[in-house]
Amino acid sequence: MVSDNSASTALNESVVDPDMPLADSSVPAYPDTPQKPDAEGSLDGLPPAELPSPAPAPPVDPRTQLRLRSDGDHLVLLLPSGPQIEAEGGALAWGELLQHFKQRLNGGEPFWQPNTVVHLAARDRLLDARQLQALEDVLTAAQLTLKRVATSRRQTAMAAVAAGYSVDQLGAEDTLVQSPPAPGQPLAEPLYLQTTVRSGVEIRHPGTIVVLGDANPGSSLVAGGDILVWGRLRGTAHAGSGGDRDRYIMALQMQPTQLRLADLVARAPDGPSTQYLPEVAYVGDGAIRIAQAQAFARQHFDATLGQGAQPTDAF
Amino acid sequence: MTRIIVMTSGKGGVGKSTCTANLGMALAQRNQRVAVVDADFGLRNLDLLLGLENRIVYTALDVLAGDCTVDKALVKDKRQPTLGLLAAAQNRNKEAITPEQMKALVAGLAPSHDFILIDCPAGIEMGFQNAIAPAKEAIVVTTPEISAVRDADRVIGLLEANDVKFTKLLINRIKPKMVQEDQMMSVRDVLDILAVPLLGVVPDDERVIVSSNRGEPLVLEKQLSLAGVAFNNIARRLLGEEVPLIDLTATHDDLFSRLRRFLRGS
Repeated sequence: MVSDNSASTALNESVVDPDMPLADSSVPAYPDTPQKPDAEGSLDGLPPAELPSPAPAPPVDPRTQLRLRSDGDHLVLLLPSGPQIEAEGGALAWGELLQHFKQRLNGGEPFWQPNTVVHLAARDRLLDARQLQALEDVLTAAQLTLKRVATSRRQTAMAAVAAGYSVDQLGAEDTLVQSPPAPGQPLAEPLYLQTTVRSGVEIRHPGTIVVLGDANPGSSLVAGGDILVWGRLRGTAHAGSGGDRDRYIMALQMQPTQLRLADLVARAPDGPSTQYLPEVAYVGDGAIRIAQAQAFARQHFDATLGQGAQPTDAF
Repeated sequence: MTRIIVMTSGKGGVGKSTCTANLGMALAQRNQRVAVVDADFGLRNLDLLLGLENRIVYTALDVLAGDCTVDKALVKDKRQPTLGLLAAAQNRNKEAITPEQMKALVAGLAPSHDFILIDCPAGIEMGFQNAIAPAKEAIVVTTPEISAVRDADRVIGLLEANDVKFTKLLINRIKPKMVQEDQMMSVRDVLDILAVPLLGVVPDDERVIVSSNRGEPLVLEKQLSLAGVAFNNIARRLLGEEVPLIDLTATHDDLFSRLRRFLRGS
């Protein structure tokens, strides 16, 4: 007779190093760790997709990168809100934004048909003609056509008109609203990447991130939802960056530099590991724990099965 | 079709310039018209490795200023007339030119050459951006150390984002003996992380230092060293030949080391 109720001890082979303090007290050691003390620590086996939306005002905002969202027959390209980035050397920040966007486009399985129309939601970001041109070049390389620009800045609108796009100029009151009404759902559609996420690449996404490939040391994945790596996870991964502790990080080979779930931090034990089985990181008892995927799935995803009678080995 | 290849690494001191000099020479020996371009403005040394320092009259900046044509600035190698060097200016820094100017320079060289090898400076700043701008292919040079591999990984990501689509890997300065004793990352370990096609492996060789100091690339030696053979093989692979990797372990797999490995229980 196999009872899954006893599995928790077997599961909880914690990766957290013995000298690593427990999550809540580890905050001073990681000043950049988001604090969300009121996050729920419950793990009652709900599938991630059905979880309620995470807490508002995420401490680590995954919306600081360019991202595409499908909207009916066209795509919307969302620019992160501008002013604070422009203040610290706008040109460089823009170059890096574009670089991240290109890397993401290269790795993404296209979910659009060739020559799909893109509407740019530039919001309150200031764009000049050259930046618009650079953006169009990147989109053209990915077989996308930029048609319409929505902005609340006069200069951006002028540049867009001069470049021949349709322009929606939004009122000044829209500028004051930090997040636009459209991408209001905190959990965006999952981001699917078929690529090696290399050192120096940071993927931020408000929804779930799926990587088909390795995440190399020096890379960083930040998701508002879950993180699934179908490959080796050797960089840093932060799931539930909005403060949602009911998130998972799953990898075929779990060798992370650091794991973060909501406001908790853990690092892998020193020394090479010998076994490489698919593993899942989750929050249990206020700390990050790691379990083998099979055992974890039995306990957390098949909770209803566990309540029934258990088959014996003979069957 | 001219092949424009940038030799880059991210980290300094892994042997970019040495590899550029040797590969350029090895390709030229195979009757290819090769131009090696030093993109390391302000810290040039490709001319030293090729022994051409005292023959430089014009640099890339003189070409850009319109003082001479690009063909005139190209320093022809006496030993291999099909090899030419376009030197960088030593008295300026990386900000002296822009990616567009670099593209123009290389475009001027392209019609009269089969290969253009661009020696990229270390780092990922302006000099790197300049060097990769004209390139269609890249050879990422790394050594089997985690710092070099980490930087190479970063550079490969940047190359992908900058539309350099054909990236190959050259692992330099590997010490077969240390790999066998599990003290150094193996070729497989490096490939595991970087996941790009392997172009070749060059063993660590003291003669590289001697040849650098003399300004005579290894591939010019009559009695080729192991590293020289490796460079020749890489040049042949670049030309499309299928050449197996040389077995670097052969010299170290003697009775003594086998016994030692046996005793260490591996």
